[in-house]
Amino acid sequence: MAEVEETLKRIQSQKGVQGVIVVNSEGIPIKSMVDNSTTVQYAGLMHSFIMKAKSTVRDIDPQNDLTFLRICSKKNEIMIAPDKDYFLIVIQNLTE
Amino acid sequence: MSSSAHAGKSKRHSVVVSVTSKPEFNMKRTSISGTSSQRQISHASGFHPSRIGSLSRRSILITSDGKTMDKGSLIGSKHTIQVFDEQGKDVTPRPLYRPEPSASLHRQSKILSTQDFSGATGSDFLSSLSMHQTSGVNASLVGPFSRTYGSSSISKSTTSTTESIADEIVEPGSRRDTAISLSDVLVRREEIKEQLTKEDIDKRVDIYLTETETIWLLDMPTVMVSIESEDAEKVKERNKDYIELCKNRVGNDCFVERMMQTLNGAPKNKEVQCDKILMEDKGIMATSWDLYDSFNALETTLAPSVTERSSRPTSLSSSKSNVTKDRERTMSITSTDRESITSSSIIDLESVILARIHEEEEDHSEAILKSEKFQQDLFFMERVLMENVFQPKLAAYRQLPVLIEPVLTSDAGKEEAVTEEAEEEEEEEEGEEEEEEQKEIVVGSSILLDLSEAPEEILPPSLERLWSYTCELTNGHNVSCMAWNKLNPDLLAVGYGQFGFQEQKKGLACCWSLKNPMWPERIYQCDHGVTALDFSLANPNLLAVGMYSGTIAIYNVQTHNTTALLDSSESFDKHIGPVWQLKWIEQDRGTTGDDKGEILISISGDGRITKWLIRKGLGCTDLMKLKRTASERKKLTGEKEKKSEALISRQPPGMCFDFDPRNTNIYLAGTEEGHIHKCSCSYNEQFLETYQAHKGPVYKIAWNPFSTDMFLSCSADWSIILWRQDSLRPILTFSSTTNVVHDIMWSPKSAFVFAAVNEGRVEIWDLSVSTLDPLIVTFANPGVKFTTVLFARNTDCILIGDSDGIVSVYELRNMTASDSNKVDALHDIIGSALAS
Repeated sequence: MAEVEETLKRIQSQKGVQGVIVVNSEGIPIKSMVDNSTTVQYAGLMHSFIMKAKSTVRDIDPQNDLTFLRICSKKNEIMIAPDKDYFLIVIQNLTE
Repeated sequence: MSSSAHAGKSKRHSVVVSVTSKPEFNMKRTSISGTSSQRQISHASGFHPSRIGSLSRRSILITSDGKTMDKGSLIGSKHTIQVFDEQGKDVTPRPLYRPEPSASLHRQSKILSTQDFSGATGSDFLSSLSMHQTSGVNASLVGPFSRTYGSSSISKSTTSTTESIADEIVEPGSRRDTAISLSDVLVRREEIKEQLTKEDIDKRVDIYLTETETIWLLDMPTVMVSIESEDAEKVKERNKDYIELCKNRVGNDCFVERMMQTLNGAPKNKEVQCDKILMEDKGIMATSWDLYDSFNALETTLAPSVTERSSRPTSLSSSKSNVTKDRERTMSITSTDRESITSSSIIDLESVILARIHEEEEDHSEAILKSEKFQQDLFFMERVLMENVFQPKLAAYRQLPVLIEPVLTSDAGKEEAVTEEAEEEEEEEEGEEEEEEQKEIVVGSSILLDLSEAPEEILPPSLERLWSYTCELTNGHNVSCMAWNKLNPDLLAVGYGQFGFQEQKKGLACCWSLKNPMWPERIYQCDHGVTALDFSLANPNLLAVGMYSGTIAIYNVQTHNTTALLDSSESFDKHIGPVWQLKWIEQDRGTTGDDKGEILISISGDGRITKWLIRKGLGCTDLMKLKRTASERKKLTGEKEKKSEALISRQPPGMCFDFDPRNTNIYLAGTEEGHIHKCSCSYNEQFLETYQAHKGPVYKIAWNPFSTDMFLSCSADWSIILWRQDSLRPILTFSSTTNVVHDIMWSPKSAFVFAAVNEGRVEIWDLSVSTLDPLIVTFANPGVKFTTVLFARNTDCILIGDSDGIVSVYELRNMTASDSNKVDALHDIIGSALAS
């Protein structure tokens, strides 16, 4: 548990990281390092997106599965590590 | 008794009728049966064997004359009729028809007075008994017959027995019979009714519907008679009669047309009402992975779900597991929770269960955060972040072309596009306008080659700092040694430990990965300062660490375990002085009996060069004990140490060593005295040669990897000396500063290039360029001393460790690519140097 905390802290203090959100399988945020409204927004929007991406990957080959998802946009980058029970979302902004 | 009056008149068979006292009147029944209007009534008559019987019957008949038959009185002597043929065969006809008793009773009363019978039938009656069976002859028809004839028979009774044709008598019998049969039937029916009890009604009765066999009611096969036979005439007459009958049929009063109708029951409407049938629409999308999951889930669900249920309240756990599995498919999550409640008080339980659900969710989230998968995901996420942060640097490390944003397209575009780009770039990179304009002009001339060649400037070789491996743990520690992993060139081991005796503190050994420059992959805390490190070649996961206390520990970097695999602190022959250098060497050990294997060799401050073997712990044998050699002037090598010095004679501390890359039997060792000894593994008593030139401790020796004749040595006397193996005098001396040179290393790519680190700066020497000055000099930050240097094998980078615990990665830029095999050139240079 301590390791998890440490790693989370390190990630949070990385250059350009705007926020770290951990969402459980139902779309409820478990842990968040950004304000509430942003958290809720991200959690809700990402959920459907991840489902779609996962469904796409598995439709092509049911034995395959989604391991990592990155959305690079102009202003920042959203990195998502999906899992059966949770999603880990990190938002990073490098162009500052 | 045989009946006499038949043969001539009747066309029928002559039959002997014998009467037996049986209750059944088989023939009677046949005669009674049917409603056919044919008058050819066949009657079977039974003759009484005795007059008495007939009398009795007659008497019965008289009494019952004009009245309907009394059932009870008739049940007297019942007799069966048996008809016998001339031959004596029993041709008693069997009854086909069992008449309706009620109908027969009815008709008896009606037809009594009205019937008018033709004489023909009477004659028939009198004449014979017929075997013809007609269907549908009513008992009622028979009845009046009997009466009339009964009366006639009464009158004639005394005359002849033959004339007392018992067929009339038979009639009452028949009536009797029908009555009997009626009663019988009636009785039977009632009996049947009584048998049905309540149980039977409730009982489940299986009704089997099958098709019965065909019941023949009438079968009159055609009979073919030859014309020449005896009966031919009879048959012809009969046929004629029949045809006449058919003609007479129409309009004849004897024949009545009758209509039949089946009665239909009156229909009745009944209304039924049921509860409203609830309809629910449900949609689901069956994707191919959904199907795959369902098939796989069927195999694996049962076992784990059962174990879950046994431990916790069943409803919750099952709903939870369903939720996690089906979250992608089903919508209603909360409803399943509620449905699974099975207890009585719903409201209270709902609240309790909802509270429990919340708790469960909290537990669940805690579980998620603690799970290993989460840890792993965080690990990867961190690496991904690092990649983002360090992307250009890492790309430079890998010698990939670095992407510059905005991308200056090198396509020969139109001038408009070019000017647009120019505008964009002017906004962003204002300082480089002139250059870009020049470039654009070049582009405008639409020759790609120009573009690539135009900005070509000859830049001097330089070191560019890419990034540094550092973290808060390593702050303040002195980097004492660095080593690459033999298998994975991106994995770096760094040892942190102070050099000096007084500054000793706890040391650290870290494994850094290229993928995460901000946090080491492995951290090994050591009790003493780490002074030497090396990765094994045969087992790339083994890391040998030598410490200031003389202890050697071996770690396995594959696991996260931070305790040492092996430790030499308990062995007998462990080092007493600090281990200054460690190396894993591949060696033939034919003499010692072992096969070719890898051994660990260390040199330490107690003057011993020892060979370590991994057999049940670390065992060691000494390769060499360094001996003090006095200066050349006065003493000979080896012996007379004791004379000159009154100090405690001890072995000189060994500082460094290096094995000959060609011949791993021979190695060079540098001592604190400043001597370099060439030794052999086969001799552990004597040195092969001694090179003496340094005036201070020799900190590092390095064989040239390309030209194995040459080696470099650096020492605390501010100088670096290039030696040749066969010459006891130095070839070249490089001294550029007044600082202690801590470390040197040949470049793995060029025979001429080497790097040297002295306290304040890093020097890159290129012998092909100049033997007097270093090619590149980079200064350290004030207060920080550079202590170690390491070349990267797969790229043009150099790693420099300093006294603050930072390992910086520098890229060597614009080095002229020199041909590494120009050993001759090196010799030429040396030759020229020597000459000069």
